[in-house]
Amino acid sequence: MAMRTVTTQISRAAGEAAPGDEGRPTETRSTGIGSRLRRLLGNADFWADWTAPIALIVLSALFTLRSPVFLSEQNVSGMLADSSLIIVMALGMTFVIAIGGIDLSIATTVTLASVMMGVAYSAGWPLLLVALVGLATGALVGCFNGALVGWVKIPDFVVTLGSFSLTSGIALIVSQGIPVQISNPLLNIFSTGGIWLFRFNFLLAIVLALALHVVLFHMRFGTYVLAAGGDLDAARAMGIRVARVKFLVYVLCGALAGVTAVMLIAFIGAAQPAPSTQFLLTAIASVVLGGVSLFGGRATIHGPVIGAIFLTVLYDGLTLLGFSAFYQPLVVGIVVIAAAVLMRTAR
Amino acid sequence: MSESGQGPTSFSPTSAPAHLVEALGIWKSFGEVVALRGASIWADRGELTAIVGDNGAGKSTLIKCISGIHAPDSGSIRIAGTLTSYRSPEEARRHGIETVYQDLALINDLAVYQNVFLDRELTWGFGPLRFLARQTMRERTQALFEKLNVSVPSISSRVRKLSGGQRQAVAIARGVMWGRELVIMDEPTAALGLRETAKVETLIRDLVAHGIGILVISHNLEQVMRLSTRIWVMRGGRVVGGFRTDQVSKEDVVAMITGLQEATSPRSRPDDGDDMGEPPEPTERKDV
Repeated sequence: MAMRTVTTQISRAAGEAAPGDEGRPTETRSTGIGSRLRRLLGNADFWADWTAPIALIVLSALFTLRSPVFLSEQNVSGMLADSSLIIVMALGMTFVIAIGGIDLSIATTVTLASVMMGVAYSAGWPLLLVALVGLATGALVGCFNGALVGWVKIPDFVVTLGSFSLTSGIALIVSQGIPVQISNPLLNIFSTGGIWLFRFNFLLAIVLALALHVVLFHMRFGTYVLAAGGDLDAARAMGIRVARVKFLVYVLCGALAGVTAVMLIAFIGAAQPAPSTQFLLTAIASVVLGGVSLFGGRATIHGPVIGAIFLTVLYDGLTLLGFSAFYQPLVVGIVVIAAAVLMRTAR
Repeated sequence: MSESGQGPTSFSPTSAPAHLVEALGIWKSFGEVVALRGASIWADRGELTAIVGDNGAGKSTLIKCISGIHAPDSGSIRIAGTLTSYRSPEEARRHGIETVYQDLALINDLAVYQNVFLDRELTWGFGPLRFLARQTMRERTQALFEKLNVSVPSISSRVRKLSGGQRQAVAIARGVMWGRELVIMDEPTAALGLRETAKVETLIRDLVAHGIGILVISHNLEQVMRLSTRIWVMRGGRVVGGFRTDQVSKEDVVAMITGLQEATSPRSRPDDGDDMGEPPEPTERKDV
């Protein structure tokens, strides 16, 4: 009973909107702080909610001790800005994973959307239209994925692996492998200006996260995503149009990849035809670290957001400590697998 | 309890005016296998109607036709005397017929109230921008559970955390919440222990007392004898008998199920098409 109160308070404190804080009838009173702690740490729910925040705090403390620059205003602001791209992709991936799917084409969709924006920019289109081209390209790829997964019922893995190749192929053909410089003062302000620690691109990512939190937990669509991800047959039996929900989830993920492309161009000032495959891994890793079940049905929005910030901090800190960039994939791999093991064995 | 003074072996589904639900001469095949051969039953409000029969007798297929999962090849379904045809569970639901599935169709990681309102969420908002009215849904679920005397740790508990009996109660309550006319239950206590079975039986009895029509498939004959108002016996895709429960003994029902009453071979294959000398067919095959 006592332990239940503890987890309840914690998940309340985390602002977790998921139901089920209450009632585990079999759990009776526990004695002593030791056993309480042991129960808490042995609880998979606890780790799903708290792995990313705890890891973020521990990591920040470590890096602060080792490098005085780490907590400087400029570094923190830069790290948050860096994380904004990963956050937006992780948001899309969260919905896809919550419905029990996966989108392997997310990073190459970002590439294709940037390339299309480069084409539109070169054609002299106004900036707003160029951004819409990016968004539309992403959404279109999402429609393609979603239609095949939802209605044609091809496994998500196969579909998105195919469109992974398709999108990067089209990006190369359209761009002929040549990057397009896109310099615009407005885009520049978007990724360098801001309010205090928070640059505009990070603020956009947070606004999107808040909006999608509302969609996931306070709208019917979110309930259907979690229901279909939790039990496809039951959701279907209850009348939920599962194929349609799947389709919309992939469209959402694609559109967010389009948003990421806009942010990427604002960030690096060019439309790059080379795919940044690291994006894919980092986006999935953020979602896993955020405690979202890869089997679907259970998700939070704040978890992946913190997961994305954590991974960015990890990259940044390693660089600050003088590790070569070659070490990054290794460390990220270890961290993600460790997190997954922690959440699984704790059960 | 019932106003219809049917005789012990009344086979005519049309003898009383406007039953709550009537299935007439339902035929259904799956490829080569003929699952239903002109099966006819009816069910009334405030009664528990049970369908019994051996495995493969066609019980499940028949209720799936009534709940809209299967479309009958021929035959008709009337609700309150009105001929209806529906092609999906959603359409059946629109006619006030709810089904409590054997695997319950609950979403484990959603809260109890979210499951009760699944696909029928209450919302508030402006134009197309709608938000879940969680508080109202919680209150309505709470009120329903109090009325039905269903107890769960909390309306906001995840279903995963409930016991088997509680899950069954949630599934039944959901059926009752939306089933204006009829709640169909497929083996409602098959997966439950003794104590939980007793609780669910009490719930079912209360529902019948509240005037709801319930149609049940059960293998548990003791239970059927205890709870039901009326029994239809199926064998080989046909309805071979219908009784008021208080006018038959369990032995009669068993004999009818196995075909021992008239037939020499009690283990006849359900789809071998032999007429085992059972009572006359209720209806002719007719096309819709």
